[in-house]
Amino acid sequence: MHIDRRTFLAGGSALLIGQVPLPARAQDKLIKFGAPQDFTKVYTFVTAEYSQGQRDYITLFNERGGIKGFKVHLDVIDHGNDLPRAIEAFERYKREGYVLVDPLSTPMARGLVTRALEDKINMVTTLSGRSDAADGTAFPYVMPLSPNYWSQAALIIDFFQKQDKDLKGKKIVLVHIDTPFGREPIPIYQALAQKLGYEFQAFPYTPPGNDQSAIWPQVRRARPDWVIFWGAGVGQTVALNEAIRNGLPLDRMSSSVWLSESDMEVVGKDATKGVLKFEAAAGGREPKVIQDILKEVVAKGKGAGPEGKVGTSYYNIGVMMGAIQIEGLRKAFEKAPDGPYTGPWLNEGLRSITNFTADGLLPPITTTKQDHQGGGRGRIARWDGSKFVAQSDWGSAYEDVVWAEIRKYSEEFKKSGK
Amino acid sequence: MLYRQAGIRHRRYAAERQLWPLTFDRMLVGAVALFLLAAPFTLDRLYVSGYLLPWLLWSSAALGLNLLMGGAGQIHLGYGAVMAIGAYSSVHLVRNGVPFELALILSGSMSAALGIIFGAAALRVKGLYLAMSTLAMQYIVDFTISHAPGISGGTQASLQVPRVSVLGIPVTGEVAPYYVALALCAIVTLFMLNVGRTSFGRALAAIREKDYAAEIIGVSTFKYKLLAFWTSSFIGGAVGAVLAVCYLRIVTPDQFHLDLSIQLVAMVIVGGLGSVLGSFFGAALILFAPIFFNHAIGMLAAGLGLSISTDLRSHIPLMLYGGLIILFLLVEPLGLAKMYDNVRKYFLVWPFRHVRK
Repeated sequence: MHIDRRTFLAGGSALLIGQVPLPARAQDKLIKFGAPQDFTKVYTFVTAEYSQGQRDYITLFNERGGIKGFKVHLDVIDHGNDLPRAIEAFERYKREGYVLVDPLSTPMARGLVTRALEDKINMVTTLSGRSDAADGTAFPYVMPLSPNYWSQAALIIDFFQKQDKDLKGKKIVLVHIDTPFGREPIPIYQALAQKLGYEFQAFPYTPPGNDQSAIWPQVRRARPDWVIFWGAGVGQTVALNEAIRNGLPLDRMSSSVWLSESDMEVVGKDATKGVLKFEAAAGGREPKVIQDILKEVVAKGKGAGPEGKVGTSYYNIGVMMGAIQIEGLRKAFEKAPDGPYTGPWLNEGLRSITNFTADGLLPPITTTKQDHQGGGRGRIARWDGSKFVAQSDWGSAYEDVVWAEIRKYSEEFKKSGK
Repeated sequence: MLYRQAGIRHRRYAAERQLWPLTFDRMLVGAVALFLLAAPFTLDRLYVSGYLLPWLLWSSAALGLNLLMGGAGQIHLGYGAVMAIGAYSSVHLVRNGVPFELALILSGSMSAALGIIFGAAALRVKGLYLAMSTLAMQYIVDFTISHAPGISGGTQASLQVPRVSVLGIPVTGEVAPYYVALALCAIVTLFMLNVGRTSFGRALAAIREKDYAAEIIGVSTFKYKLLAFWTSSFIGGAVGAVLAVCYLRIVTPDQFHLDLSIQLVAMVIVGGLGSVLGSFFGAALILFAPIFFNHAIGMLAAGLGLSISTDLRSHIPLMLYGGLIILFLLVEPLGLAKMYDNVRKYFLVWPFRHVRK
């Protein structure tokens, strides 16, 4: 067959210019949520467990018939904590009419803030992202929907105070990863130090935190009354190991929400007895919704991952976020049953959740147009060698101090975009 | 056949020295240029803002690094930091009311000024030692940015980029940022295509081959090594500025970590050291192979109804990606550009293989 140059060129350029269609995933009667998350780089098993819980809850919801004939499609893809990949996913979601994006990564959430606000797609920043995004007036489309780091910090200090009756003259130290995420709670600890009269000291370690041997002897020398360790992923287990090596009392140490059974298995289940952490959702398999998932999803072989992980801390956080997102969807349908099923439509729902507890899995959460955090309630739990046991009732603490900080920074964002 | 040389007769020196003497090469370049110019109107917006825009920006950055690594033979592991300096300078300048055109040049100069300080190490050390000292630049810049609230933007360490305009046209939406990036990429590409034909480019090549030999024949290594760092850092800074304004739109320190530097070095090496075309190929491969494999595996799993765990599903693409890079480097150590060159050379004389040199 003879192909002359002109034919070849014409064919070639047609091939170049003609766009390659993406496979049509769109089907009728689907509300689309996107979950580009980091399965491979930093958060790895955290994401795997979280995603499993989130997908199982959404399967449960779909299996029960969805809502008004609509089902939820959750697209899960790995962004490897790499911004171009997260942006690619975000742009694709925008094109395909997704109404919610859940990146589960503080750096990605920060990098996508402008796009979420401009393109009006709800970005969920589960227990991460900017703390000041709790102010819905400044960040209408950024939805933490969970206690931010400042609320967590305040609740931890509140627990310390209840244990010691008075924190005056006590020394509280924060051992944190030296990134914006690690430094984030410092303003709250400082503000509360002035209020309660304790002495506060911060010890940063260099990211990613797999070597902290230089910092912990200094922590020991500071003779702290309470230690808070603030990291994610590998840094947490290293911190625990170093604390044990330096003989710090573990029952006077607390983490933020990012500590799980898997971390404890790495360090040693018995060696870590007594460690405290913030809890945003009940752990274990007792909560009714977890039982429902076991019966209606996992037992039917529709579970998204290994059955053994059902009921772990991060799994339950995934269920919690899935449940809150679905509750927002219900509210959106209540407000405007006929759509249009867009980002702003879902936004109305996500911002009007009232006293939702997911059948006792989480403390009552109430979101408003002002408060995207939902009340900032949580509790402190202690590791007893096999599970985390709640040490306090659900509640929030010093929300006035927290909100003063939130407003301070969100005003700054409104004014200057910082 | 395709690359027909028959009938090309040069009557002037200029004609003989043009960039693409072969008609087919010219038409190919023209077709690609036309495609890129028309992209916002013919392609889906997703491809423009999600793929072409980052590709142009990363290619420009890889070109800047290629001048240093391929052109002058100086390795640089802190190119991400150079871009960070450019990005942060431009954002701060624009926030303080400096017009973007000026901010672009100033941020390039800022990167160049700081880049040359660390580049000065190249006057004393080479190879792996230079890699280490440029790595130091990466860490020092990272540390400074994230610890100076004045630079990073305070506790939240994120700075929104205000909307800017270039030559009176507001850079908003998806089309204008794309054209700004395309213009920058075109300028950098033209510069890189021509630099090899200037005395500056030839001096760099001499230094790349053997620096003391270059000194002996009268090329001042002191001057040209610093100039190489200056030029390459200027390009990096300018790309960083456009990256911040047109693509990222909010800058945080995490965006310019060592990962970015390594990514760029990988683009240059996989694409082909010293090759302009290679920088484009390298950028495309390193940026999009993971995304492509991710989608491909996802579709395959969905299409075949396989239930593979998310863990495995997200790690298989990485394995394929790693394997692909090794494969390319095994098949052609000189990079992707050389692969294209092999094909081109084959067709240059096809079907008369015996005349191949």
